[in-house]
Amino acid sequence: MALVVSGLVWLGMRAPSGSAPASHATDSRHAPARVQVRFWHMWTAEWKVVVDRIVERFNASQSTYEVVALSVPPEGAESKLLLAAVGGDPPDVMAQWKNVIPTWAKNGLLTPLDDLMSRQDRETFARDAYPVVKRLGQYQGRLYGLAIGVNTWACYYRVDHLREIGVEPKALPTSLEGLVELGKRLNRFDERGNLTRLGFLPQWFQTYSVLFGGGFYDEAKQQLTLDTPQNLRALSYLFEQRRILGNDRVTRFDSAQNAGFGLEWPFVTGSVSMTVDGQWRVEQLAKYAPTLEYGVVPVPPPLGGKALGGFANGNYMLVPHGAKHAAGAWEFIRFWSGLADPQVAAELYTWGGWLPALRGVASAPAFESYLRHFPQFRSFVSLLPSENQQTLPPVPFQTFLLDRITAADEAAMRGVLSPREALERLEREVSEERARQRSLGADD
Amino acid sequence: MSFSRALKKDLVGYAFIAPWLLGFAVFTLGPFLSSVYLSFTHYNIVSSPRWIGAANYALMLRDATFWRSLWLTFEYALVAVPLGIVCGVALALLLNASVRGVGVFRTIFFVPSIVPMVATTVVFIWLLNPQIGLVNRFLAVFGIVGPAWLKQPTWTFWSLVMMSLWSVGGSMVVYLAGLKDIPTYLYEAARLDGANAWQRLRYVTLPMLSPVIFFNLVMGIISAFQYFTQPYMLLQQKAPEESTRFFAVYLFERAWRYLDMGYASAMAWVLFAIVVVVTGLLFRTQKRWVHYGS
Repeated sequence: MALVVSGLVWLGMRAPSGSAPASHATDSRHAPARVQVRFWHMWTAEWKVVVDRIVERFNASQSTYEVVALSVPPEGAESKLLLAAVGGDPPDVMAQWKNVIPTWAKNGLLTPLDDLMSRQDRETFARDAYPVVKRLGQYQGRLYGLAIGVNTWACYYRVDHLREIGVEPKALPTSLEGLVELGKRLNRFDERGNLTRLGFLPQWFQTYSVLFGGGFYDEAKQQLTLDTPQNLRALSYLFEQRRILGNDRVTRFDSAQNAGFGLEWPFVTGSVSMTVDGQWRVEQLAKYAPTLEYGVVPVPPPLGGKALGGFANGNYMLVPHGAKHAAGAWEFIRFWSGLADPQVAAELYTWGGWLPALRGVASAPAFESYLRHFPQFRSFVSLLPSENQQTLPPVPFQTFLLDRITAADEAAMRGVLSPREALERLEREVSEERARQRSLGADD
Repeated sequence: MSFSRALKKDLVGYAFIAPWLLGFAVFTLGPFLSSVYLSFTHYNIVSSPRWIGAANYALMLRDATFWRSLWLTFEYALVAVPLGIVCGVALALLLNASVRGVGVFRTIFFVPSIVPMVATTVVFIWLLNPQIGLVNRFLAVFGIVGPAWLKQPTWTFWSLVMMSLWSVGGSMVVYLAGLKDIPTYLYEAARLDGANAWQRLRYVTLPMLSPVIFFNLVMGIISAFQYFTQPYMLLQQKAPEESTRFFAVYLFERAWRYLDMGYASAMAWVLFAIVVVVTGLLFRTQKRWVHYGS
């Protein structure tokens, strides 16, 4: 009896699940049979709909490959891919936006995309890709992730709030110092002194370090630049502005603001007059607050700083090592990025409101038409050719580095450490981590 | 019973539990043992583990974050566990009274302990919001300006302690069962001897409840050393890392964010050793204060 029960349990465990993804190389659902390319991405909700549309468009254009998309929860996407790769069954292509490329590339988890590119692809990429795109997916001079969308940050301002204090949008200051002064005039407080509306407060060390002429990496020397006078100036400036407004007051105000999607974004609710945010807000505003009058300008640099500077990242495609259909994966990446046909890709970019990685896509009629419809988007596009758009250094401990930069920023803003101490700690922590990696036999 | 019949009977028993045994061997014992080996390797999940001897353990000695996170975890265990016991026993004593509707009150106090930790944490993030949270609004009624609970290191620690008390209902039920088990004749005898309420609590209730308190103390210490979900969620919400990077959180970061699985395995074994030592010490002390009725 016991053996029978055990046997039944075993059979139950062995029974194929109806929802298990097919891993066959070909599929008989469509005629003619095509090679299935398994694509994992992390988009959900309305974004997933757009991705599915792009996949459909690709599949309709194909007689050789068929992309099968799977939306993976972002929280578990990295571990899922790692385990799939270790188990010898990774997807053929994955869209990522986390800081994983140098780490994964160093550990042999990724296929260099240069190996999959044709000569023409390489030439087009070298000629047409924006500078920041070339920095995004690199490790040791090789391309491991091709951006299919770039994220840049610019300054959103509410026209109604500006007019309230008699300022016309065209007369916005062209220096960071001027913008901060303007922000002070837009601040509002309640009877207890709590901030009820924030005019403008520069926050986020990563972006402002670049605007102050700093940043975290010297490309020419291939060296990290953490505790530098420029970075110290940036961090000190950010802390000083926060201190002037009242650190505790800002903390309380920030805590009361929802991180904000759509209608809950503090900019939409009117709790913030001017703020630095990404290009995806343009689509959200059109959808959730179509009557809101607003504009977008590149964040002005401080006196002596770098214009059109800032931090950029992106959504990029990577091909895991061991992918069974790397050629099909590359075909899909070519299609989406616009390397295959920028005119076709331009339309895809308008569906998601993404910033293209290639100049050819940005100048295609479909994208031009999109820019006419959303003129605020132009400010973000104008940042793309800038050499002052930086991204995270291509070091294999990139996640650690980002964590420590963020920690330095937060410690300085909370007043736990002075800006100088925060940068010294950052430098020390990163040095220790490198020493640690070296002691374990892992070089940079 | 002949040997062969006894063997056959045993085999039948093992066959019945074979699915569990198999699952335990594959999903618990296997990883448990392999983590011993991995702790002596440099292992990033993707590549094969590389033997580095005791280097991971040596690295811990000079890893400041390791020591900070360990100390924070000790602090939490030292504060939250005793506080949880005091509150749990106090609640159980209150709810042991024979009053009308006591079942409803017991249910009310127990329910929070079955709410998922993630949901509890989200609720607390809003309750403790410095500007619009209910806690600070309540304090404002008395003219007190409440702190930015989850944004300042000191207050974040106490917020986590407060959150741990929210689910004290689980241990309260165990204490309640222990209280019900205390023979009433002991109280009658104490009364006849002229013992007042405090003396009955001190000399009858607590000694008789001590095995249950000891059980909850050991389990509470083990849980405290593995404390993860709440601080990890708060860390994601930009709470100060000084008060949220607990040992288990740092271990997780090393394993899955920095792909340092060998070091994380070594950390896990250090944690295991600490828990064993602390539990062993507690067992050594029980002779002095745990009273087994029999």
